[in-house]
Amino acid sequence: MFAEEIRTFRRLGVRYVLLQILNFASVLASGLMMWKGLGLITNTESPIVVVLSGSMEPAFYRGDLLFLTNPPNQRYVNGDITVYKIPGADIPIVHRVLETHDVAVGGKKRGAVSAAPVARKQLLLTKGDNNNIDDLELYQGLEYLERKHIVGKVRGFLPYVGYVTIAMNDFPQLKYALLGGLGLLALFQRE
Amino acid sequence: MASRIRKHTNGDSAASSQAEDPLAASTSSTSSNAISSLLASAASSVIREEVKVNNASATEMKHACDDALKRFLSRPELFKQIYTHTDIRLALGWTCVFIAAGTGLYGWKVEFEKSKPVVWAGLILYITLTVIQTLYAYFIEGDIVFVGKRKTFDKRIVTERITISSTSTPSTPTHPPAYSLSLSYVRSTSGGKSLLGKGRATSERGYNTFFDERGVLDQEAFERWVGGVVGGVMEGKAD
Repeated sequence: MFAEEIRTFRRLGVRYVLLQILNFASVLASGLMMWKGLGLITNTESPIVVVLSGSMEPAFYRGDLLFLTNPPNQRYVNGDITVYKIPGADIPIVHRVLETHDVAVGGKKRGAVSAAPVARKQLLLTKGDNNNIDDLELYQGLEYLERKHIVGKVRGFLPYVGYVTIAMNDFPQLKYALLGGLGLLALFQRE
Repeated sequence: MASRIRKHTNGDSAASSQAEDPLAASTSSTSSNAISSLLASAASSVIREEVKVNNASATEMKHACDDALKRFLSRPELFKQIYTHTDIRLALGWTCVFIAAGTGLYGWKVEFEKSKPVVWAGLILYITLTVIQTLYAYFIEGDIVFVGKRKTFDKRIVTERITISSTSTPSTPTHPPAYSLSLSYVRSTSGGKSLLGKGRATSERGYNTFFDERGVLDQEAFERWVGGVVGGVMEGKAD
């Protein structure tokens, strides 16, 4: 099937082959850089996530796409929907903030609470809208979540779009087929 | 890209007698007449693979013409192609890809907060190189498809340099889609320091003069036309 294309490549030379592979590689590279850039701008490692469970119904259903930001100096308040990741658990969880507590910023007087609560030292407790109990059991020993466990706060969402990612994760062959198809298209086409 | 590979030999006896003796032509090659005749002959004894494209797509036809032009002018007795533009595009492009890959790998291995400075650096570098690459392709490279050099020896070393750009004009109700060539030619000696001659030429032909209804490119006719234009510009400012 590829004999004709391989003969064409040999005729056209090394530079041509490198150029065609570059076409494909640069598409991937620009996609990756856009993702990383978006993550840096929103200050979160994963600015777009997919909802996997139904614990936030009727607000979010499985397969929804969520857009996150993580403003470093803004306090989280009750009612914010956050995505957090417990060290030791591999999947992030999206639930609503139920309680927030402020920790004293360590000054000369121990035990004093600072007049202006500092965003970075917040403690949070979360609960899924569709769950009966709060998330204490998910915290793997912790009593409260710290800011460093939070991936981000949900700013917006798109319904159903996330099913593509879910399908690609459940059927990895789909991912390879898509990538392979894209590669062939880029290699054998000229702008 | 669709090119059927079928060996196809033309048998045009009138032109072959001149083309079969390129050595004789090259000894007096500084004489522009010999060069023009060499170019115009479009050696028909050369075995060519059939080039077949979709003749509804002006882009495919332009690429086929560009490739035929490069193949023709890169013949050992004609010009030696200079790959500077291609090499710069390859170098910039692949550097961008490696920077992106490195940044991605680093961001994956190192935890988010700690990785931020390096990822910022990688991102800024990537954007800078991409912008430079785009500007280069737009301003410096432009429509150039072929840059060739040729050195001949006749009392002194004469260097000839030709730059060819091509554009494709789409079809209008009055004329068919056309392929337009624009050449720029410089002849100099003693390492490029003294200029012997310069020339410029443009020529346009409709694609229908070279492609038949199946989409097969008539390479001999194309090469004859290109040879004529190149010979013309080389002869225009002869010694």
